Amino acid sequence: MAQDDDDRRAWFRREILPLEPDLLAYARQFCRDGQTDPEDLVHETFARAIACKTWREIGNPGAFATRILRNCALDALRRRKVLTITAVADFDRIEPIDEAPTAQRVLESREELRLLADAIAELPTQCRRVFTLRKVYSLSPEDIAVRLGLSVSTVEKHLVKGLRYCSDKLGRRIGRKNKVDEGRSWSARRDHDAKR
Amino acid sequence: MERETGSRREAVRQAAALWVVRLDDPSCSAADRAAFEAWRDDSHEHEAAYEREAAAWARLERLRALRPGVERPDRDLLAERRPSVARAPWARGMAAAAAIALVVAGTMTFDGGTAYATAIGERRVVVLSDNSRIELNTDSKVVVRYRKGVREVKLIKGEAVFEAAKDVRPFVIKAADAVMQADSSTEMAVRLRSDGAAVTVKRGAVDLDATPGEHKGERKDERKDDLRLTAGVTAIYSSAGSRSRAVSDSEIDRALAWRQGAIALNGQSLEQAVAEFNRYNRQQIRIADPSISGLRLAGYFQTTEPNSFVSAVTSAFPVRAAAGSDGAIRLSRRAVPEKIG
Repeated sequence: MAQDDDDRRAWFRREILPLEPDLLAYARQFCRDGQTDPEDLVHETFARAIACKTWREIGNPGAFATRILRNCALDALRRRKVLTITAVADFDRIEPIDEAPTAQRVLESREELRLLADAIAELPTQCRRVFTLRKVYSLSPEDIAVRLGLSVSTVEKHLVKGLRYCSDKLGRRIGRKNKVDEGRSWSARRDHDAKR
Repeated sequence: MERETGSRREAVRQAAALWVVRLDDPSCSAADRAAFEAWRDDSHEHEAAYEREAAAWARLERLRALRPGVERPDRDLLAERRPSVARAPWARGMAAAAAIALVVAGTMTFDGGTAYATAIGERRVVVLSDNSRIELNTDSKVVVRYRKGVREVKLIKGEAVFEAAKDVRPFVIKAADAVMQADSSTEMAVRLRSDGAAVTVKRGAVDLDATPGEHKGERKDERKDDLRLTAGVTAIYSSAGSRSRAVSDSEIDRALAWRQGAIALNGQSLEQAVAEFNRYNRQQIRIADPSISGLRLAGYFQTTEPNSFVSAVTSAFPVRAAAGSDGAIRLSRRAVPEKIG
């Protein structure tokens, strides 16, 4: 039972999580009228996807996840008090992703390292210091607290802030195929990202 | 509305991130682990959020590769260098592609405050230390100054949406001649225009011209009632005075369609629409023939796609597009027998 749950989570982490940038791009198409936050749609999609007990039978995780997202968007539309004509019309026009995104989007390792280092560099000074000592030098939160003269809970707060920043950076990374809003200048990277 | 679900999402992710940090702490106790299991069993939302943060945390292990072979840890190892590593190609691409960057602003306030700005075509979300949010539209700039007792934000250029988080300190927004004090949980947009500051309140309420602690007693109350804008009201404020009117939710959403990277037109003139597109793009559009500037348009367009807007216009109206000598797209009347209304 516990093993099964672990397998299910590992599947989610391996197959579904890496789709986040694609799902976000897909979700934006449902949110053009400004009534729904695309990130909320993705968040809800993740919650529904990880709940899937029959995950072993899913052959195409990308198609699976986009179908859930579409349902989430439909539910959000139904919950609305006022349906604007444009919202409905726009909605009908959105095709399911023809070529479902796949999990082949692990960034080239040097590129990812640079992305993460840049993300840390953008943090506020104290937060960056705490994060650097924890993740680069592997000091424990207690050691960091002593070294910087902070309380352990402050150290934790900085770590949470840094982690949240990085996980969003990773989730919003511009994807391989992303013709929605901001894809144009990225077409040259397709070959890069298509590598498994 | 959705902002509430957004902050709920953030709250869940924060909680998940804290568990990730705690569980990875060597001093994490069995009781902590049990509490975590209980939290995770609460909902699949928690479970998925934990996986998301844990996966990012695991990927951050790679940062160890940057550790130089010296004994003493350098806590500023990853501080931005000059020339900076942050100007990696992907960073430039992000800006160029108008991607939304989430900036976690700390207490890095130096004297004049902290400035945040966007380039043409860019959008940016800034989360301040108290969790107030500023969403910057194209070509905009704000300066944030959190001093003792007051949270002050000044819109220098362009347009922004402000969401004031709950806090004992007043949240004051300055734009052109307007000074506003937002109630907590207020969501409002401010745009600097040639005729003054346009303020639209989406949620909550805001006092115009409120100068904290200056007007006492009755007079202050009078002023407050006079110049209090509530949700669903838009006002233009200039040195000459202010005028306000009620706006519908859908009108507000259309005005704020840029947050989704869109321009929503609902009967605006071609002239207004073109001015709107020109805010977001270096590729400018010009109306060469004044007789077409009054054409009325409706529809949703991507802010960064002036060409698809132009082709929609030229296929719906007797309008012709040509490249001007200055690189701009020139719109003129196409010769047709009928008269345009």
